[in-house]
Amino acid sequence: MSPARDLMVVLALLGASAGVPFLGGDYWIGVGITAFMWVALTQSWSLLSGLSGYVSLGHVVFYGLGAYVVVASWEVLPIAVSLALAAGAAAVFAFATGMPVLRVRGPYFVILTFGVAELVKFVVMAAEAAAGNASRLILGTPEIETLFFLMLALAAAATVLAWGVRVSRLGHGLRAIREDEEAAETLGVPVARYKLLAFVLSACIPGAVGGAMALRNTYFEPLQAFDPMISFSMIAMAVIGGSDDLRGPVVGAACFVFLSEMLWANAPQLYMIILGLLLVIFVLFVPEGLCGRLFRSRGA
Amino acid sequence: MSLLEVRQLSMRFGGVQALERVSFTVAEGKIIGLMGANGAGKTTLFSLIAGNERPSSGEILFENQSLAGLRPDQVCRRGVARTFQVVRPFAGLTVIENVTTAALFGMRRYRDRAQARDAAAAVLQELELGDRAEALAGSLTLSGQKRLEVARALATGARLVLLDEVMAGLTPMEVEAMLLTLRTLHRTRGLTLVVIEHVMRALMQLSDEILVLHSGRLIAQGEPPAVASDPEVLRLYFGEAA
Amino acid sequence: MIETLASGQLLFAALALGATYALVALGLNLVYGTMRLLNVAHGDLVMLGGYLTYWAFALGGISPLVSLLGTAVAAALLGALAYRLLFRAMLGARRTGPRVEANSLLLFFGLSIIAQNLAALVFSPTPRGYEYLSDVLHFGNVALTGNRLAALLVAAALCLAVVLFLRWHTMGLAMRALIEHREAAAVVGVDIDRVQIASFAVGFGTAAVAGALVSMTEQVSPFMGFPFTVAAFVVIVMGGLGRLEGGIAAAFALGLIETYGVALTSTNWRSILLYGTFVALLLARPQGLFGRRAVMR
Repeated sequence: MSPARDLMVVLALLGASAGVPFLGGDYWIGVGITAFMWVALTQSWSLLSGLSGYVSLGHVVFYGLGAYVVVASWEVLPIAVSLALAAGAAAVFAFATGMPVLRVRGPYFVILTFGVAELVKFVVMAAEAAAGNASRLILGTPEIETLFFLMLALAAAATVLAWGVRVSRLGHGLRAIREDEEAAETLGVPVARYKLLAFVLSACIPGAVGGAMALRNTYFEPLQAFDPMISFSMIAMAVIGGSDDLRGPVVGAACFVFLSEMLWANAPQLYMIILGLLLVIFVLFVPEGLCGRLFRSRGA
Repeated sequence: MSLLEVRQLSMRFGGVQALERVSFTVAEGKIIGLMGANGAGKTTLFSLIAGNERPSSGEILFENQSLAGLRPDQVCRRGVARTFQVVRPFAGLTVIENVTTAALFGMRRYRDRAQARDAAAAVLQELELGDRAEALAGSLTLSGQKRLEVARALATGARLVLLDEVMAGLTPMEVEAMLLTLRTLHRTRGLTLVVIEHVMRALMQLSDEILVLHSGRLIAQGEPPAVASDPEVLRLYFGEAA
Repeated sequence: MIETLASGQLLFAALALGATYALVALGLNLVYGTMRLLNVAHGDLVMLGGYLTYWAFALGGISPLVSLLGTAVAAALLGALAYRLLFRAMLGARRTGPRVEANSLLLFFGLSIIAQNLAALVFSPTPRGYEYLSDVLHFGNVALTGNRLAALLVAAALCLAVVLFLRWHTMGLAMRALIEHREAAAVVGVDIDRVQIASFAVGFGTAAVAGALVSMTEQVSPFMGFPFTVAAFVVIVMGGLGRLEGGIAAAFALGLIETYGVALTSTNWRSILLYGTFVALLLARPQGLFGRRAVMR
């Protein structure tokens, strides 16, 4: 396994897809935005959960907060600033909640992250309701091509970040934590600091992605921005692609986007059922994911 | 000079007194054998020194500095490494990745990952695990996993290594091999070792000095022949075993 | 305000909610405790039980209190089948051994998506309800419908029965042994496979009965299960994962908190209360309110 080569492959794929706006119409640009969104989100999720084994079931909270920040600062701040602020807000939230949340392990962590995300969703709903906004519309958002390249950049940034972590001391330490946290600590891995760092790093890009998607959707509605299905989907894509592999999120996102474009509009329930079946099949028969199975290069 | 000094160390779990006012010193470059029946507090002592547990009272000094309040990773970076009685390999990582982790994060703290890997490979050679470097740690035999525990502890660059029953469960031939390895390591690296072992003959051969724990109290210490003929040790320990 | 809070009406509502939560959470806890499987499709069994009861009543005119026996058996068989087909291999395979929790979560999530959307496809997403024992009864100044009272009594009785089963029956003892220590249970001769199949059967069966009871007072719909899954997880985390009695106590605690909390604020605050209590509690006492297993460093 050569992480540097994986990085080149993924970046080359993303680079090649930059041609889409010049070849295809708005439909294909839209598909591209969705695909890049999932690559960026799943890559970020894998950075934390794939490496450290702390399975976050609440990553949508960062996405939702990012969307909220961008919508709330609409026409107040320049878009670039509010996107940066979205990433920053997600990171700050991760830092503040990470300290207590990362003290619990295993299923408690899974359920707790889900609970925190839902809690934030309902608090934002209550705050919006109190302010008299059921949902917010934003007008004059950037062109779809601009958003395409923005999301492409975020997917590339998430990939580079995930790569950087994987080949660093941090990545090495996180893998040791995943395998046996106490043994890792006894060998000198600063576990509390590393977990928090990974949590924060895995939060910032989803924050920006949430902001960018708010611009794409041109409205904000808490139930949708904090939809737990988004968290579940990140996990499913990572599992289908392979969660400790830089190429995994790309493969997983590609499968999902293909399926959803084929079926979502005409047969949403059938789409969901197939998604469920896929998940079941992968967990049972290909738990290491497509990348683990197809491109196996490590002696296992 | 003493590398490790334990002063009046006590540990209570609920109503159980696991350790009671244990004091001893370990001189640099020595091999200390720690014996005692199951539940005597040997592993608890290791956990306290390595920072895995906090003592109820007492003090632990390493190189004349207190280890009080330090987390396990901080103790490791000071230069103390331990192994686990029940082996804890990073099962999903390869053998060399296991040891590289120790080289990257232990006292030695290689900045460069390639260098850390080279150092890890060297340690694996010393423990005769070189040909298993790319295997997953979970696939090693028990003997292999015990060696891996030792390899990880060494790769941290620690000056004091606490070995918790690294020979338990091994065949007599494997015990001989491990003894040879430990002696060689002690000589070539100038390590200080504290060794918990139930294989009595091995412990007597290996150690410069023996400490005997019984029900959390230190009941005897001295050179192996002296301890072996100590009447209380004979009664409590060998008497029970016979 | 004070009058509302002091009324028996509210207390009854809290108890009824608590009993439902207790029954739903019991099966989830049993399946987690014995096998470390995180069944996020548990609420969908409530949905399934609701639909079976609804159709038995709508098509055959069968009383929910009678059909719930058939519902329980059907769900128990489904549980045994799911175990045989999907989970037995997973629990046995060494490769997935340490990651059973995460994998089971994903597997059950897949099943949950399938169940919900299949139900929507077959039954249509329209909510369905029926009238049964809906006459209002008066006990002092407390007015309640017969179906609510019946649901509370059945749920409480079933919880009690399961607790007694675990305490006195050989299989119950084996289940508790498995919860405490899997390897040790195997060593003393417990047939792990049989206990696991029984845990699935009991877990699925009780959830479906809870669904049958819920359908007497509320409409059933394909996506009704998820809130029950969430509530059940909150309950068992509060009570301590794998601690069955702790879960029952936590269920009633949550029923009280939710009912009185909403009475004091507004229904908009229901979810904030639920999750707020849960998050705060898990951060303060990660081993659960009544738990003793340490999960913190």
